Amino acid sequence: MSLRKILGYLPQSFGVYPKMSAEDLLDYFATLKGVSSKTDRIKLVKEVLEITNLYDVRKKHVAGYSGGMKQRFGIAQLLLNNPKLIIVDEPTAGLDPAERHRFLNVLREVGTNCTVIFSTHIVEDVKELCNEMAILNGGRILKHTTPQEATSEIDGKIWTRIIGRDDLEDMEKMYNVLSSNYNQDNSLNIRVFAEQQPSTEFVLAKPQLDDVYFIALKQDEFVSIS
Amino acid sequence: MFFTIYKQELNYWFKRPTFYIYTAIFFALALFFAASTAGVFDFITTTTNSSSTVNSPIGINNLFNSLAVLIFFLFPSIVGVSVYRDYKSEMHSILYSYPFTKANYLFAKFLSSITVVLMIVFAIGLGMFVGFRFPGTNSEIVTSFSFMAYAHAYLVYIIPNVLLFGAIVFGVVTFTRNISAGFITVVLFLLVQGIVESILRDPESRFLSGLLDPFGASASSYYTRYWTVAEQNELFLPFKGVIIYNRLLWMGIAILVFGLVYKYFTFSENAFSFSFGKKAPERSVKSNFGGITRIKLPEVGFDYSAKQNLRTMWKLSNIDFKYIVTSWPFISILLVGLIFIILTASVIGEVFGTNTYPVTWQMLLVPGNSFGLFINILTFLYAGMLVHRGSISRVNHLIDVTPIPNWTLLWSKFIALLKMQAVLLLVIMLGGMSIQIYRGYYNFEIGHYLYELYALNFIGFIIWALLSLFVQTLMKNPYLGLFVLLVISIGIPFLSEAGIEQSIFKYNQAPGFSYSDMNGYGVTYHSYIIHKIYWLFGGLMLLIIAGLFWVRGIPNSFNERMQLASKRFHGGIVIFFGFLLVGFFALGFSIYKENNINNKSFSSKVREQQRVDFEKNYKKYEEYAQPRVVAVKSTMDIYPKQLNFEATAKYTMVNKTQEVIDTLFLNHNGYPSTFTFNKEVSLVLEDSIMHFDMYKLAQSLQPGDSLELFTSVKNKPNTFLRNNSPVVANGTFINNFRIFPTLGYNGSNELTDDEARKKYGLPKNPLRPMPSDSAALGNTYISKDSDWIDFEATVSTSQDQIAIAPGYLQKEWVEGDRKYFHYKMDSKILHFYAFNSARYEVIKDQWNDVKLEIYYRKGHEFNLDRMMKGMKASLEYNTANFSPYQHKQLRVIEFPRGGFAQSFPNTIPYAEDAGFIADVDDTDEGGVDYPFAITVHEVAHQWWAHQVIGADVLGSTMLSESLSEYVSLKVLEHQYGKEKMRKFLKKALDGYLTQRTVESKRENALMYNDGQGYIRYQKGSLVFYALSDYIGESALNGALKTYVEKVKFQEPPYTTSEDLVNHIKAVTPDSLRYIIKDMFETITLYKNSVSNVTSKELPNGKYQVDIEFVVSKYRNNDQGKRYYGDKVGDTLTYTSKNLIQPILSVPLADYIDIGIFTEEEVDGKKKEVVLYLQKHKITSIHNTISIVVDKKPTEVGVDPYNKLIDTSSEDNRRKL
Repeated sequence: MSLRKILGYLPQSFGVYPKMSAEDLLDYFATLKGVSSKTDRIKLVKEVLEITNLYDVRKKHVAGYSGGMKQRFGIAQLLLNNPKLIIVDEPTAGLDPAERHRFLNVLREVGTNCTVIFSTHIVEDVKELCNEMAILNGGRILKHTTPQEATSEIDGKIWTRIIGRDDLEDMEKMYNVLSSNYNQDNSLNIRVFAEQQPSTEFVLAKPQLDDVYFIALKQDEFVSIS
Repeated sequence: MFFTIYKQELNYWFKRPTFYIYTAIFFALALFFAASTAGVFDFITTTTNSSSTVNSPIGINNLFNSLAVLIFFLFPSIVGVSVYRDYKSEMHSILYSYPFTKANYLFAKFLSSITVVLMIVFAIGLGMFVGFRFPGTNSEIVTSFSFMAYAHAYLVYIIPNVLLFGAIVFGVVTFTRNISAGFITVVLFLLVQGIVESILRDPESRFLSGLLDPFGASASSYYTRYWTVAEQNELFLPFKGVIIYNRLLWMGIAILVFGLVYKYFTFSENAFSFSFGKKAPERSVKSNFGGITRIKLPEVGFDYSAKQNLRTMWKLSNIDFKYIVTSWPFISILLVGLIFIILTASVIGEVFGTNTYPVTWQMLLVPGNSFGLFINILTFLYAGMLVHRGSISRVNHLIDVTPIPNWTLLWSKFIALLKMQAVLLLVIMLGGMSIQIYRGYYNFEIGHYLYELYALNFIGFIIWALLSLFVQTLMKNPYLGLFVLLVISIGIPFLSEAGIEQSIFKYNQAPGFSYSDMNGYGVTYHSYIIHKIYWLFGGLMLLIIAGLFWVRGIPNSFNERMQLASKRFHGGIVIFFGFLLVGFFALGFSIYKENNINNKSFSSKVREQQRVDFEKNYKKYEEYAQPRVVAVKSTMDIYPKQLNFEATAKYTMVNKTQEVIDTLFLNHNGYPSTFTFNKEVSLVLEDSIMHFDMYKLAQSLQPGDSLELFTSVKNKPNTFLRNNSPVVANGTFINNFRIFPTLGYNGSNELTDDEARKKYGLPKNPLRPMPSDSAALGNTYISKDSDWIDFEATVSTSQDQIAIAPGYLQKEWVEGDRKYFHYKMDSKILHFYAFNSARYEVIKDQWNDVKLEIYYRKGHEFNLDRMMKGMKASLEYNTANFSPYQHKQLRVIEFPRGGFAQSFPNTIPYAEDAGFIADVDDTDEGGVDYPFAITVHEVAHQWWAHQVIGADVLGSTMLSESLSEYVSLKVLEHQYGKEKMRKFLKKALDGYLTQRTVESKRENALMYNDGQGYIRYQKGSLVFYALSDYIGESALNGALKTYVEKVKFQEPPYTTSEDLVNHIKAVTPDSLRYIIKDMFETITLYKNSVSNVTSKELPNGKYQVDIEFVVSKYRNNDQGKRYYGDKVGDTLTYTSKNLIQPILSVPLADYIDIGIFTEEEVDGKKKEVVLYLQKHKITSIHNTISIVVDKKPTEVGVDPYNKLIDTSSEDNRRKL
């Protein structure tokens, strides 16, 4: 119960009551969150609407909002109890770049004086936002670290080279291929995790957070097989 | 593609527990009802009546009909769900891009769900089949299995109805994407059906009503309405005429509905919506890229206290309430419900086409009846919607993480439901007041409305709301929850069938209460309120349990919910729950103790056994000679404030027999009583259960000797839970049988059903001896221990009331705070009298030397003139035609609601709702002036009962009731003309034909009747009216006069119906003797109809009318089986190539009215004018006649005024 008082939660997907405007719904949530005075609620709702840039559409039914607006509404409701702990679940999925930036900025801003637990598949978000990170797979924490530490850990161990599409299977057998992606000319760019340069064709690459993620998953896969 | 979707849908349902739960419920219900009608519970409750076969085709159909309401509620949750779940799971956005046609999709969805519904519905047939043959059922009333009967019910009614309502609900849910809308549609259909039924309730509208009934039940009853018990047991249901039209009409509508669904259905993302004056869509653009916002939330106070939670609860309930009342399903129910209330409430209390004034208590009868069911359905539905509202719109994740406690959420939903109920109750009040305003009745008793609706009715709905929240919280599927709740609420009253009779064991059951203008709610409602508080405690406990199982966050498994519940059960909850539990059991025990330990209460099974024992133990004393009461001197002290009475009576008795009497048998009642004789007696037997005592006289009573019995009676003290007295605060009405003893064995308690008697080893019950049994004429049918008595009574009551007993007021005085009245009768009367007391107003009048008085409640002045006129007219008619009136005074005395009037010597207690509040319409369109007619009837009893009284044999009620009714009809006819009589006779005919279909033992001919109301009143009035038409009013009255002269105030042996019929025969010409046999000695019904009519203008300007018509008649035996003659070969037969079956008839030599009519305009109104009306002698079934009339005819008829008993009277006339 005491946890709920300081918690702000934004689930991966959520619905709202139909035929209720943002203003009414936020007032409703503010009540649920224990804001007793009506004037307080009005002030608060106005503020969170402005923060999330929804003030102009506050009279519209939330059910009719676009994905980004609804997501912002989610942030708005989350802020209502001035939370000390915020849990957000894949909040940036489906947002356009501007929305996403705005969203992350708001979270960052809020995060200055509270804890935000942020779950995402977009590694970029983590890099931009998080002080600490953990990689979860199948309910298990694979790695718990900070973004800087994570990348510095594998500094000098990530190698890349360009190969033809048909060579990929061989490469995967020979090396610990973390990821592969197409170039414009249908050749593939692969990234490999190795302590030493695997072969001369490989060049050293700057480690990215993605690599950390893939390594963690690969190791987990290895462990579960053996 | 069709089959893929179809199969996939079926697989979906077969994997759902819901499907099996529905099937199991229907199977179990059908089994329960079938087995219980077939007497499976006879071992714990009363023996099931044996006259009707329970699994006859009509019995099977009726059982299906009784489960029909529940079947309709399957449609939204199965047919509706089939499309809805694609929306809900958002599958539709994927599915709708797939390459199947809309026909494939819709038909597969529709037909698969219909298949599922049908499978569930087939479980009903199976349940019935098993139920009828369940071990323990009574094989006497179950006939062999008939496949045709089940097939007919399914093919003609159930399957077409499933398709029709399936299509409609499918359409509604598909377009609204809202299952509740489907439920509301079903409720609307039931409401509309109720409205149509109340608009088309007149017999003339039956064809139309049969055509328009979407369920087809009215179409079927169009033909089966008048089936006798034998016909119900044997005949197959018809499939013809209006039934076929009805089925075609509604199948057509089903196809049309589905066609429209097909036409307008599109594979679109969003629901079909109506938009009025839609604004041009705004272009939605993105702006404000990036940008850093400074977040500085205002400082606000957070309050997590219980007080704040209470406030929040109220606020949340408002939000949920707004959700309910702004949803269009709710609004539509509200509007249609209002229409329903206005239409149904406006016909409550209608008698012979005449309404009552729209008094408030009548307007309030609606919620107790049908509208209450609709409030319940909405409660069940919206309880589910509110409980699952969060998860339906998937906002529950956001709500569940807020610090709001569970109880705030749950109770806010509870309060929202109550607010909804309060609004619906307000609709009843508005509906009632609209009727009152419309009818120009401005005595608005707002306080009464509010009190009954919001104090008495509301609590019952609140208790349902509590159960609804409980069930809906435990169930994941709100529609299944709704269904379960419906089954519970409809099923609970039927638990009595299974031997669970006491209210404290049946959720939300309580004794009823009723309001009368005279006596308010009386004390009946104390017990109601105590029971409701008891169930409120029970309901609140359920709500607490619901709170323990409230789903917060991710749904848990059953075990997890159990663990969570036990974890949540702590602290204040335990205390509150404990308080409720203690209260619940304390109240329950007090009620139980009051009803079972402090006072004896017997289950109906035990009571049946007691009646058997009584007969077995005491019937042997039936023939024992007993002294006869010759004088009664009584005192009666009525305490209206304390609701107590204390009475005494001194019986003077004489041994009128030739035998020596040594033992007295005393029948009394449960009131604390004392009995003392003026001769030495010893109590040899005291049956404290059946209240039957035997006293042995120390010295036998010789023939001619007399004996005195002094008895004192009072009621047991009243307690808050139980009223032990018949006294009411205003309007006491107690007759002597209720308080004072009678002598000798009383056979009225004997079981009448011969099968039940056989079970207990009793011989068949002939009910009463035949009139020809000269040994059985020693007693009147009113009393078995007396002939004519002297009567005197002193009655006292509180000072503000007047107390009345038969006789003349000798003296009136005040003693302390009490008022005393001493009455004495100047002539001999039957041993039949009553005491009345109330705060009365009196009006007085005079007819010749007879003083007339009406004692009435202030405010009920509406019909005093009519009643006074009725008293005079009846005195006039009876005196002129039969004999002088035996008293010098006649009083009508109002008493609270009861719906009847009863004639005691010179005293007629008359219920307030039997005439005092009638709103008589004197125009041609108006109904019968029944305050006048009932008064005439009751006054006529001063002759036909109080002068001429029949022996206690079959048919005696014809002498009192049928003849009083005859007088009433004749006086009415002289007063208002023949036109009004037709309204009366039509209702009487319908009443007779309808009520005889539910006869439980046998229907005898009029002169041998067992005393059933429909024979002695309805058939009696039809027969005597027709008789006076055939032999003439003066001839009939002449015969009656001679008869009265012969038998009035006679000592035993008493007269019988045979005696009267012989007097009538004496004045009946030979050619009409057949009507005596048809009307009195047998049950004879006509089937008359006009088959064809043509008319042509003659050269002389006159018109020749050629009529082809059919006359036939048949007889019924006492079970309603038809026969056509007394012996083989005397049956008439008519065949024609147009007829499928030949028409049979009892031999005819009958005189039948042939009428020709035209229409004329009188004062702008069309009026029927008789061109020709003559009785024709008819000897064959098929007849043609040619008649010349002066004017152009518009309509002809055979027996056009329906003087004869005919089950299809509407085909007696035909328009040209």
